[in-house]
Amino acid sequence: MKKFLTILLSVLLACTLFGCAGNKGGNESSDVKEFDVTIWFSEIEGVADQVQAQVDKFNEANPDIKINATIRGITEAESATQVINDVESAPDIYCFAQDQLARLVQAGALNVLGEGAAKQVTEMNDAGSVGAATFNGTLYCYPLTADNGYFMYYDKSVITDDVDIDSLEAILEACEKANKYFSFEYKTSAWYLASMFFATGCKSDWVLDDAGTIIGVNDTFNSPEGLIAMKGLEKIAKSTARNSSSDNASFSTGSAVLISGTWARPDVTKDLGENMGVADLPSFTVDGQTYHMGSFSGNKLLGVKPQQDAEKASACQRLALWLTGEECQAERFASFGWGPSNKNVQASDAVQQDEVLAAFFAQSAYAVPQNQIAGSWWDIAKVLGQVAEDATSEADLQKGLDDYTAAINGIFAMDPAIANAYTVIGSFAGHAWDYDEAMTEENGVWTSAAIEFAAGDEFKVRKGLSWDEAFPADNFVVETAGTYKVQLDSASGEVSLVQ
Amino acid sequence: MAEKKHMGAKAKSRLSNTIIYIILVVMTIVWLIPFIFLVLESFRLETTHQVGYVIPKQWGFDNYIKLFTKTDFPIWFGNTFIIGLVVAIVQTIIVLSMSYTLSRLRFKGRKAMMNVMLVLGFFPGFLSMILLYKVLSWVGLTGSNSVPGLILVYVASSGMGYYVSKGFFDTISRSLDEAARIDGATRFQIFTKIIMPLSKPIVIYTILTAFMAPWGDFMFAKYIAHAASDGMNVAVGLQNMIGTQASLAANYTMFCAGGVIVAIPITILFMSLQKYYVEGVTGGAVKG
Amino acid sequence: MSIKTNHVNLFEDISDLDYLGLTKFQSLLYNIIHFFKAIPSWLINLFKQIGKIIAKFFNSIVSDIKDIGTTFVHGDFKTKISYFVMGFGSIARGQIFRGILFFLFEVIFIVYMVTTGGYWLSKYPTLGTVSSGRQYDAKLDTYVTVPGDDSFKCLFYGTITIIFIICFVYTWRTNIKQNKINEELIKNGHSLKHAKDDAKSLLDEEFHKTLLALPITGILLFTVFPILFMVLVAFTNYDGAHDGYSNLFTWVGLTNFNELFNINTGNSQLSLAFGEILSWTLIWAFFATFTNYFLGMFVAIMINKKGIKLKKFWRGVLVLTSAVPQFISLLYISKMFAANGLVNGMMLRLGIIKDLSQVIRFWETPTLARITVIVINIWIGIPYLMLITTGILMNIPEDLYESAKIDGANAVQQFFKITLPYMLFVTGPYLLTSFIGNINNFNVIYLLSTGGPINPKLLSSAGAAGDTDLLITWLFKITMGAESKYYLASVIGIMIFVVVSILSLIVYNVIPSTRNEEDYQ
Repeated sequence: MKKFLTILLSVLLACTLFGCAGNKGGNESSDVKEFDVTIWFSEIEGVADQVQAQVDKFNEANPDIKINATIRGITEAESATQVINDVESAPDIYCFAQDQLARLVQAGALNVLGEGAAKQVTEMNDAGSVGAATFNGTLYCYPLTADNGYFMYYDKSVITDDVDIDSLEAILEACEKANKYFSFEYKTSAWYLASMFFATGCKSDWVLDDAGTIIGVNDTFNSPEGLIAMKGLEKIAKSTARNSSSDNASFSTGSAVLISGTWARPDVTKDLGENMGVADLPSFTVDGQTYHMGSFSGNKLLGVKPQQDAEKASACQRLALWLTGEECQAERFASFGWGPSNKNVQASDAVQQDEVLAAFFAQSAYAVPQNQIAGSWWDIAKVLGQVAEDATSEADLQKGLDDYTAAINGIFAMDPAIANAYTVIGSFAGHAWDYDEAMTEENGVWTSAAIEFAAGDEFKVRKGLSWDEAFPADNFVVETAGTYKVQLDSASGEVSLVQ
Repeated sequence: MAEKKHMGAKAKSRLSNTIIYIILVVMTIVWLIPFIFLVLESFRLETTHQVGYVIPKQWGFDNYIKLFTKTDFPIWFGNTFIIGLVVAIVQTIIVLSMSYTLSRLRFKGRKAMMNVMLVLGFFPGFLSMILLYKVLSWVGLTGSNSVPGLILVYVASSGMGYYVSKGFFDTISRSLDEAARIDGATRFQIFTKIIMPLSKPIVIYTILTAFMAPWGDFMFAKYIAHAASDGMNVAVGLQNMIGTQASLAANYTMFCAGGVIVAIPITILFMSLQKYYVEGVTGGAVKG
Repeated sequence: MSIKTNHVNLFEDISDLDYLGLTKFQSLLYNIIHFFKAIPSWLINLFKQIGKIIAKFFNSIVSDIKDIGTTFVHGDFKTKISYFVMGFGSIARGQIFRGILFFLFEVIFIVYMVTTGGYWLSKYPTLGTVSSGRQYDAKLDTYVTVPGDDSFKCLFYGTITIIFIICFVYTWRTNIKQNKINEELIKNGHSLKHAKDDAKSLLDEEFHKTLLALPITGILLFTVFPILFMVLVAFTNYDGAHDGYSNLFTWVGLTNFNELFNINTGNSQLSLAFGEILSWTLIWAFFATFTNYFLGMFVAIMINKKGIKLKKFWRGVLVLTSAVPQFISLLYISKMFAANGLVNGMMLRLGIIKDLSQVIRFWETPTLARITVIVINIWIGIPYLMLITTGILMNIPEDLYESAKIDGANAVQQFFKITLPYMLFVTGPYLLTSFIGNINNFNVIYLLSTGGPINPKLLSSAGAAGDTDLLITWLFKITMGAESKYYLASVIGIMIFVVVSILSLIVYNVIPSTRNEEDYQ
C-alpha cells in the first residue's frame, strides 16, 4: 500500500510538472489589430470610468488598432507592490508613485520607451517630470501628474489671521491652545519626515547601476545640518499637538493642520468648507536661524510592462502616450484636481488659478526632486522622528543619527556584490572623504569613471565600503591636475591613473 | 447558633451573586461596545469620515445601498460564501478522517506522524505564501480565478488542524469499537455506523469553524487576488476599501456597513448552533 | 497538600504503585520535579538517540545495498528483469494492477527526466545563467523583451526533480523488495495478494491508509514542500533586487546566517534587533496565554456559580464576539484607541482630560502599547477560554467539592486545591498549543498596533521595528517591505522554528497529560 501511495504521489507530482503550460501567442488579424490590455489606475471613484472613456476615444482616433481594456481601480502603492510581486501576471499598463521607479526597473517591470515616444514625452512634459520618469539616463515611463508632493492645509478658524502661517512654532502653539492636532507624519513616514532635513540642506542621494541595484549612497543626514533638522523635528515631536498621521479626514477628528497633498483636497473641502486654508509649509527656527521646511516633489507615473510581442508593445506604448497626453491630463485636472505634468495644461488658466495647486507650486521652490532612493531608506529614516520624540539631550539626537548611518551602511554589508566591490574615496572634486565613487571590474582590474582631479588631491581605493582592505597603504596623491580614471589591479593591489 | 450561621451564608451568597452580576453586566457592555458602535457608524450619513462621536446626526441606509450598488461587495460576499461552503464540506471530511485515524486506529508511525505535524506547525506559515502564490499563478488560479485557488490552499493543509476533533474522539470509549469488532464489523463500518452518529457536536463544530475562517482571511487572500476585484473575498474587499488615507476617508462608514453585513450571517449561524459548538469545544479542545 | 505526603517523598523516585496512589495534583508535581531532575540524563539520551538514528540510517543503507545485490544474484529471471523494467516480476506473477503501476511510474519518470527534468537539474547548481534582455524594434519604435532564465523556476523545478528522483529510487527499491517477498511466498506455497484483496484491506486492516491518503497528500504538497522550499531560499540571495525573473538570484551559502548573527559584518544591529524582538515575543506569548487562561477560567466560574441566572445569555454575548471577523473588530478597536480616536475624544468631551497634553497615546508609548495589546487580546481570548473551561469545570467530580466543604475549605481554598490543579492537568496540551499560537499571533498585533511604536533601538538594515512587533510581524514587514528580503525572512523563519521547537520540547516533557491519551475515556 505504501507503494501505491508513493506512486500516486509521484504521478500527481508528474502531472503538475507537465502541466506547466507555455505562453499564448498574440492576436493575428489582417487590418485592425485587436489587443486585450489590462490597465491599473487610481482607485478613486470615477477615475476608472473616465479612463475607459479615454480608451474609447483612443480607439476612435486610431482605426488601425482596437484596444479591449480591462480597467481596475487600485492605489499607486498597492499597484507597484503587486506588480513587483508578480511581474508575469502584472497588468500591461499601470500607474505608480515615483519612489517605486527603481524597484520596478530592478524587477524588470517597465518597458523602455522607444526613441520617438521618448522624444514626445520629453517635449510634452516639464523637465522635472521627465527627470522623474528617467532612470540613469533612460526614459522608463510616462509622467501622469506632477503633484506628488505635500503642503499644508489648515483650519482658518483655529489658525486665524493673526497667526503667522510661516512659523512652525506659532502654528504649533495655536494648535496646542485650541486643543487641536497638528497632523504631520513625523514618525511614520520618511517621505514627510525628510521635510525637516531638506530644510537645512541635507540630502540622501543614492547611486544605482543601470539594472537598478544600489551601489552607493551620498547621505548627509548625519551632519551638523542634520542635527539642526533633528532639533526642528523635536519641536513637532514634543508638542502635545503632535499627530503622526496624514489621514484625509483629519479635520473630522480634531486636527487644525494637515500636511498632505492634492489627493486630500476633496475630503478637506468637505470637512472645512469656507474655513479651508492652504499654504506652503512653514519655517522653523533653531539657534536664531530660520529654515523653510522642504519637501519631496514627485510625480505619479504610468508604466508599460515589457512585452514579447512587438506589436502589442507598440500598441501599449501608443495608448500610454495618449493617456498621459495633454487632453487626458486636462480632463483629469478638471474632474479630480490632479496637477498636470503636461506643460500646456500647466499653463492653462484653470490650473494657474487653482488655490491648492498654488500652494503646491509655492512649496516647489523648497522641494527636492524625489530621485531614486533605496527602498530600505524609507523604513530606516522614519525612525528619526521617534528618536526626536524620545530624546532628552542633544547627545540622544546625535546617537539617533549615528544609528541611522550604521543601518544605512548595513544595507551594503548585506549584498555580497557590494561587499566585494571596490570604490574610490578621497578628497577630490569637492568631496572630502565622504563619497565613494563606483568602479567596474574586468578581468580582475577595477576601473572608475573619469574623475576631475586637482593637483594634490588624495584618495584611496577601498573594498566593501570599509577600511579593512584599502589601496595603496598610504594615500594616493595626484601630482598633476587632469581628468583620469582610477584603476586597481585587485591581484597586486596596485593603483594607477589612466587618461 | 446554627440557624444564624446559615442565614449568614445565605446573605454572603447573595452579596457575591450581586457582585458577579455587576461584573457580568459590565463585561457584557465592554464586549458589545465595539459592535454597537460599528452598527451606529454604519448608519451615519452626514460624513463618511471617522469622527469623534458615535451617535449619527443623520440616519439612513445609504451606506448599505451604496455598498451593494456601487461596489463589488455582492461578488465578494458570493465568493466568500462559496469558499466557505466548499471548504466547510471538504475540510470537515479531511479533518474528521485525519483525527479519527489518529485517535482510534493504531498503526506504525502514528506517534511520529503526530510529532512531525506538531513541529511543522512551528514554521511561520505565511512564508509559504510566496511559493504558493507563484505556483497558483502558473496554473492560472490567481486574480479573477482566486476562488478555486483559495479553496485548494485552505483545504489542502487542513489536515494539520486535527487537534480539537482528535481530542473529542479520544473521549469516546474504545470498548464500543472492541465490541463491534467482536461482532465482525470492519473498521470502515465502525467509523460510519458507530462513531459518526456519536460525533454530531464535533462535526458541527468543524463545519462551523471551517466555514467561518475564510471570512476573516485577508493576508493570503489579498496576495492571491492580485488586485482583481472579482477574485476577492469580503475581508480583502473591505480592507481595500480603507487601504489608503484617501479611501479610508471616503469609505469609512461603508466599511462599517460591510462589517455589519458580514457579521450577520455568521452570528445567526453561531447562535443557532451554539449548543453544538460549545459541546465540540469542551469535548475536544481540552485534549489537544 | 504538602510535598511530602502519603509517606512518599516526591523528590525521590517512587514505585508505580505509589505513583498510582498519588492525587492528580501530586503526580503533576512529581512529574515537574522529576522533569528537571532528568534534564542532564535526558540530554545525554537525546544525543545518544540522534547518534543511534544516524548509525541506523547508514547501516540500513549498507544492508539495503547488500540486499539489492543478493536479490539480483539469487533471484529468478523475472526478478532480474524487474531491475530494469519495473513491475515485470509483479505482472509475470499475476499481480497485474500493481505491476502496471510500477511500470507506468518508470515510464513517466524516464520521459520526464529526458524531456524536462535533466534540464532543470542542470540549472540547479547556478539557478540560471542568462538574464532576460531587451531588443529595439526600430519599425514599431518599441522595445521587446527577450526572456532568459528564471531562478525561481530553476529552484522550484530543480527541487521537485530531486524529490522525484528520490521517489523513483524508493519505488525501484520497493519493486525489488516486492519481487524478493513474492519469490519467497511462492516458494513456500502461499498465494499472492491481488488487487481485490488490497482493496478489501483498505477498508479494514489498512483503513488508516484510506483515511489518511487525502489529508497527507495535501499536507505534503501544500505545507511540507513550501517549507522545504523556503528553507532553501535562506541559502540564496532571493529578494526584490534579485527576483529571479529580471535579475537572477543564486546560492550564497551561509552568508544570510552570518548577517543575522553578525559574523564578519561588523554591524550588530540586526542581531540586537532579533534578540530584542524575540524576548518581547516570548513575554507577549506568556502574558497573552496566561491572562486569557486565568481570566477565562474566572469568568467561567462566575457564570457557572449556582444561583447565577441567564447562564446562556452571558455565554452567548461573549461568544458572539468571535462571530465577527477579527480584521473588522480589531481594526475598529485600533482606531478607537488612537490619540485622536473615540476614547480620547470622549474623555476630552466629558472633561476627564483637559487638554492635549493629557491625551493618552495608547499606541505611541512603548509600555502602554504593550499593555494595551495584551489587554485587548484578553477581550478577544476570554470567550473561547470561557467555553473550554466551562466544559472542564462541569467534569470535575462534585464530591471533591463536597468533601472539601466538609473539611471547612472556603471558595478560594477550593479553587487552589481542587479547581486549579485539575484544570492545569487537563489543559496542559492546550496551553502549549496556545502559547505557540501566540508566538505567531500575527492578526492581533498587526491589526491593532502594526507593531508600533517604532523603537529606534530596533533599527537595522532590515528597516524599522516597533516595541510591539513580534518576530512574525517583523518577518512580514521584511517580506512585504520595500526590499522584499525573502532570504532574510526565511532565515528568521528558521530561527522562529528553532526557538519554538526547543521551548515546546521542554514544555512537552513537563506536561503529564500528553503522555496518556487514554486517560479521558
